[in-house]
Amino acid sequence: MPNAKGLEKIIIVDDEWESPIVTAVRRRLDEEGWHTLVIVPEAGGSIGDEFEASALYAIEEELPVGVLLDIRLGEYREDQFKGLEILQKIVEQHPKLPVLMFTQYAQGPDRERAVRGSLKWDAPVDFIDKLASPDEVVLRLRRLIGRTPEIIPIGGDLYLDANAKAVYVKRGEDSVIVDDIHGMKFEIIRELAATWYRSPGELVPFSRLERYSEGEEARASLRVRIREIKVSLGRALGVAFGAGDLIINVRDQGYRLVPPKT
Amino acid sequence: MLWWLRIFAGLVLVGGVVGLALAPFIGKSLFVELWGVEPLSYLGGLLVVAALGGTTLTYYLPRLLGRDKAEVDTDQQTAEKWGQLTQQYFELFNHDLGRPLRRILGKERELRLLLQSSESELYPEVKGLLDEIESQTPSFRLMMSNIQVMVQLEAPNLPIKIQPVEPTELIRRIVDRYSLLASEAHKEITWWSEPTEFGLIYCDGSAIEHIVTNLVDNTVRFATEHVEIKLTKNLTDFFVRVWDDGPGIPPHYAQHIFDRGWTPEVARSEEKTSSGLGLFIAHTLAKKYGGDLTLESISAPEPDHHTTFLLSLPLNGNATALESS
Repeated sequence: MPNAKGLEKIIIVDDEWESPIVTAVRRRLDEEGWHTLVIVPEAGGSIGDEFEASALYAIEEELPVGVLLDIRLGEYREDQFKGLEILQKIVEQHPKLPVLMFTQYAQGPDRERAVRGSLKWDAPVDFIDKLASPDEVVLRLRRLIGRTPEIIPIGGDLYLDANAKAVYVKRGEDSVIVDDIHGMKFEIIRELAATWYRSPGELVPFSRLERYSEGEEARASLRVRIREIKVSLGRALGVAFGAGDLIINVRDQGYRLVPPKT
Repeated sequence: MLWWLRIFAGLVLVGGVVGLALAPFIGKSLFVELWGVEPLSYLGGLLVVAALGGTTLTYYLPRLLGRDKAEVDTDQQTAEKWGQLTQQYFELFNHDLGRPLRRILGKERELRLLLQSSESELYPEVKGLLDEIESQTPSFRLMMSNIQVMVQLEAPNLPIKIQPVEPTELIRRIVDRYSLLASEAHKEITWWSEPTEFGLIYCDGSAIEHIVTNLVDNTVRFATEHVEIKLTKNLTDFFVRVWDDGPGIPPHYAQHIFDRGWTPEVARSEEKTSSGLGLFIAHTLAKKYGGDLTLESISAPEPDHHTTFLLSLPLNGNATALESS
């Protein structure tokens, strides 16, 4: 499968960059296709100030698509909220750069709350507990960065290529195109996969899918197309998808993609 | 102000006592006698009585007329300072307690990776143990948040932070947090909003997130396979319906579900598996913000059993909440 993110970079600013918890997040971001760069300050001077200078320089030089920034950058009292100072500088200098703040508090102390309150509601800045799982960090970054990639994996053996407007199945080192998934059927699976990519549990309502169906009986037509997609993908994988697999109907409200487990 | 009056009365008292003490020696030589007694004794006695009376009044008059505003303000400031201090200590405690937990989690994730990358297959028992460690994290995060919210609720003058909130993003975050946990337990969470483009609401986002997190935490634990979250609104309110297909809550338990510290184990005299604070806090917060949290549960044979929590809050309800607070 081609790299989903190309050379998109994520800068990680964390004084515990070698700790297992940050390493696990970094590894997961690398798996996701992002190229992670860790800020390691030069020795000497105040740790917090070194992080600030190095982080702002790296942002100018590397042009990342996002920054993962810890609030606490050292044990000195003045560095306990250094990340918030760096955030304010990033927001001033790069207002569109997505920043995900690592916080170590349940709801954030007064100073953190004040910074949150001072940000515009649509600022690309979000806060996440440092105990969050790497998957949670990835999902939050996906939404914060906002772009849906050209390549979206659907489980371990399938992937969707938006450029080629096709779904592929992996065969060893190679990939083979899945027949019969084109036109409106491709648009349906793309809509479902894009929503799953940003928010795995989110339902795609009928209103968004029915534009990819024809005739007066749009709902019935959509049902038929969904069944055909499941048959085509099932044939490619050598399985038969039932009503509760791959694309499921929830309470007659809409459909949700459930990528097959490998 | 009262202290200045007391100091003045003290000076008057000293003057009175000095007058009374000197009267036998110099009173007759300085003044003409009045009714058989020299006037310095009258003057001294008068000053002593006035000083004692004035001092007494400074203590009792404010209580009779209502408390002195300055003192009330001081009490309020002290309470607020105490609240802030408690919060600061809690944050310190939370941070320090989180440090070893982050280490444990980091090591568990490293171990999982090492085992996955080794040639031999990962034993289901070992995977189960690692999953068990990982699954404790959301519980820990929620427990710390619950304690922090309890501290805030007990503090005087809890500030209400009104901000524009995108409720759909709020639900996404909660689902992100619980999806992995649910998936490991072979359960799944589905959510949707009606209308699809829900728009912004004006409320205290962290309070809403806290309420819904507690509801989702509860339903994920008790669901058999499915949890559903539905976000809807009408002209005045918005609603979050959290549903699970679990065995349901019997009526004699349902009446206690929002009680502080209550868990089903309490009723069965068993060891508690949770603090019993989550639903109590969720209910208290919903009421505080001018809304409500209700329960509908059917404890019946399959497939009819389920539990639904319905949270309703004003779309622009902070005005109500502010007035009441």
